[in-house]
Amino acid sequence: MTMPAARTAPVPSESSTEAPSRPRELADLSVMIGGQGGDGTLTVSDLLGRYFRKRGLYVYTSRNVLSRIRGGHADASVRACRDPVAAVKSQVDVLVAFDNEAIELGKLELASHGFVIYDSTTFHSELPNSAGFPFATLVGGPLGQPIFKNTAAYGALSVLLGFDGKATREVIEERFKRRGPEALEKNLKALDIGRKAALEANGVANRYTVAEGDAHDLILTTGNQAVALGFVVGGGRFFAGYPITPATEILEYLQRYLPSFGGVVRQAEDELAAINMVIGAAYAGARVMTSTSGPGLSLMTEGIGHAGAAEIPIVVADCQRVGPSTGQPTRNEQSDLSHLANLGHGEFPRFILSPATPDDAFHLTVQALNLAEKWRLPVILLLDQALCQNTTTSVRFDLSGIEIDRGKRLTPEAAEKLVQYKGYEITEDGASAVAPPGTPGLWSEITGNEHDEWGHVSVNPLNRVRMMRKRMEKMVKAREDLPSARTFGPAKARIGFLGFGGTSGPIEEALRLLEARGTPARYLQARTLFPVPVHEIDPFLKSVDVAYVVEHNYTGQFARLIRETMPWHHAKLRSVLRFDGGTFRAPELVAAVKEAA
Amino acid sequence: MVQSAKPVPPIWCPGCGDFGVLAAVKKAAANLKIPVHELVLVGGIGCSGSIHNFLEINGIHALHGRLLAQAVGVKLANPGLTVVAAGGDGDGYAIGMGHFMHAFKKNASFLYIVMNNETYGLTKGQPSPTSQIGFEGNVEPPFHAILSALSIPAPNFVARTFSGDPKAMTAILEEALRFNREGRGFAFVEDLSPCVTYNDTYKLWREKVLDVSKLPGYDPTDNKTMFRLCLETIEQGRIPIGVMHRPKEPARDGLEVKLVGDGPGPVRTDIRLEANLPAYKKLLAGLS
Repeated sequence: MTMPAARTAPVPSESSTEAPSRPRELADLSVMIGGQGGDGTLTVSDLLGRYFRKRGLYVYTSRNVLSRIRGGHADASVRACRDPVAAVKSQVDVLVAFDNEAIELGKLELASHGFVIYDSTTFHSELPNSAGFPFATLVGGPLGQPIFKNTAAYGALSVLLGFDGKATREVIEERFKRRGPEALEKNLKALDIGRKAALEANGVANRYTVAEGDAHDLILTTGNQAVALGFVVGGGRFFAGYPITPATEILEYLQRYLPSFGGVVRQAEDELAAINMVIGAAYAGARVMTSTSGPGLSLMTEGIGHAGAAEIPIVVADCQRVGPSTGQPTRNEQSDLSHLANLGHGEFPRFILSPATPDDAFHLTVQALNLAEKWRLPVILLLDQALCQNTTTSVRFDLSGIEIDRGKRLTPEAAEKLVQYKGYEITEDGASAVAPPGTPGLWSEITGNEHDEWGHVSVNPLNRVRMMRKRMEKMVKAREDLPSARTFGPAKARIGFLGFGGTSGPIEEALRLLEARGTPARYLQARTLFPVPVHEIDPFLKSVDVAYVVEHNYTGQFARLIRETMPWHHAKLRSVLRFDGGTFRAPELVAAVKEAA
Repeated sequence: MVQSAKPVPPIWCPGCGDFGVLAAVKKAAANLKIPVHELVLVGGIGCSGSIHNFLEINGIHALHGRLLAQAVGVKLANPGLTVVAAGGDGDGYAIGMGHFMHAFKKNASFLYIVMNNETYGLTKGQPSPTSQIGFEGNVEPPFHAILSALSIPAPNFVARTFSGDPKAMTAILEEALRFNREGRGFAFVEDLSPCVTYNDTYKLWREKVLDVSKLPGYDPTDNKTMFRLCLETIEQGRIPIGVMHRPKEPARDGLEVKLVGDGPGPVRTDIRLEANLPAYKKLLAGLS
């Protein structure tokens, strides 16, 4: 992988001196929409995302919602850029506020050239560069309900940002046609009401324009949707889960997708049941997965250890959120890594894979299913809330490289030719050939007790040593099979970044900012986190003078794993940590390099 | 025939009630001519949960209390298998209580046998959820699994047997397995299986058991009647045994029937890429 193209147009900055009469063209735009939960902020964000996509721009949307159905402050932000982006912009260009709290919170991030559109139904703001419209009242009369205020706000925004009228309308049609003709008609009316109000206001129309991009034929998707699709395509046919933020969408997508492929999806009574249902189904011979987040992962730990000991192939998607305990269900963190690397009592092998983008998540899900079956152990797909739930423009998922590798699974024909069948036969690579129950002519014993090759419970010390080696050495022997890291940035750069998952977007953007400032840097995106890919990280660290390990947790868990396995690099490592529930912005990472210099 | 795992001798104490269950399971499966390779036994943790080691069968030893969740997974993944889950009262009614109650709701077509000895035998005689007040200092009233089973309005098969009457037990297990194999739903059989070492109740139970089918008004198709009859029997100091619930309609109501229908189920579905390519392309084309 090479570094993405450099910025093609400068970001408007405070020092910009364009005449106010001329529309200011934005090539990297951030719109924040804030209000109370239930105000429809996510709908406005979705509409904007759809519009920008139509204009060939890369889009990244994120959300900040409370763990409640209605009420409480909620905001969403949409970033549109001519260059690939997968991070929140550090400053907001346009703020849309449905209440005063949204203004108070949003103005902290507002750029000096920024503009605010707000719903003035219940309050008036003295903020300069703002325009209030009583959206709720404007739509409430003609449409009978104030809830269409969000579509009216989208209409006003479309005027402020000089949107193409036809495309603006098409977005409403695409979004609401599924809701029936009445909903569509009302939303189209709300759009017109919002547009009319903004056109009649002073100094609002075409205050900015948005550059067009050439990123066409992309999809806008989330990590959770990509994991669900990867599961289907990877041959996953049994899924059990328990609703938990931010993992629930994987369960929901699969409830939609899987039945037509002969698959089964169950909502379990708790995470203990979910993990054990997938263990049962995997033992029976299905390709399985469950998904969860911190609190559920704690409960599933028991089952994951069992799968490791009994050599049952399962995939667990961990959608990390702020922990411990209930923590902050809707907020972002990467603090489960240490737990996963050491997960469970006793010792057993596990692989931890970490995708950085939806496309990566799609392919690594397929690979996780293959690895689990081939090596007969639990595979963790490590995600984080930002990757799971924020939407990103992505290339269309490509099926051409997909392979289904079922390892040493015995067909009935192959099983028939066996002289004997031992479910835990000692082999060169540690994985035994397995015939699922129902294979004519044979049966097996599978257990989490220590066992001999036949699956009989055993306390024989020699057997114990042989079986421990059989299982544990999978982590060494599978090395070639595990997903390889990706590197970005010029090979000669002496500054390095190390990270995984959702921090990759901000890090890649930081590389571009650093390059533009004449401080080239490289980035190694680890895609296998455990076993720690020493063969990849060691040469990378040798090639740089200093390496910033970027992660969302307090203790620097990834850095700790690197120090533990490569202590000779200790002095080069600098942790860049954020654990406030938000995500890194690229300038923060640039600042970390500058501070250290 | 491929040589597979040979059964090992039972670890149970001589005279253990679990021997009765082992014999009855073997006999019932043989009577129904179920091929060994299609039989799966999911064992719990405890003396009784090791039963799969003593049979020619596909055995999977589950985690403590989690056998029902694993059995549901096995059955939904491959509805063609005949699945039996077997464990003890501690496994099923203490650590596994959540899964126990949900098994009736889920109603997947498999058989769950609880060998109830009113104690934790393997850990040497602590009180269990079914222990009588006073047993080893127990101050909590005993849990009656059959009453809980009857309280859930689902078309499950519910029965209780006594290891002292292996003939009746075999007949009930056979009926339960047939019920499962017809895809009619979940079957729960609690066997009163005395622990000869820590809670030898053979004599006491033999005196107290009462076959509910002999009671006036016996109607196993009606939960309400059976709940009342069982409760009254318990209040009279007797132990109800026999078939407590036998749903009237021979409808194929099992969860796996509802989910998979006439399809092969997840395990036997063709997952090769080439077999699914047009459908996958269509699925991915829906993204925008």
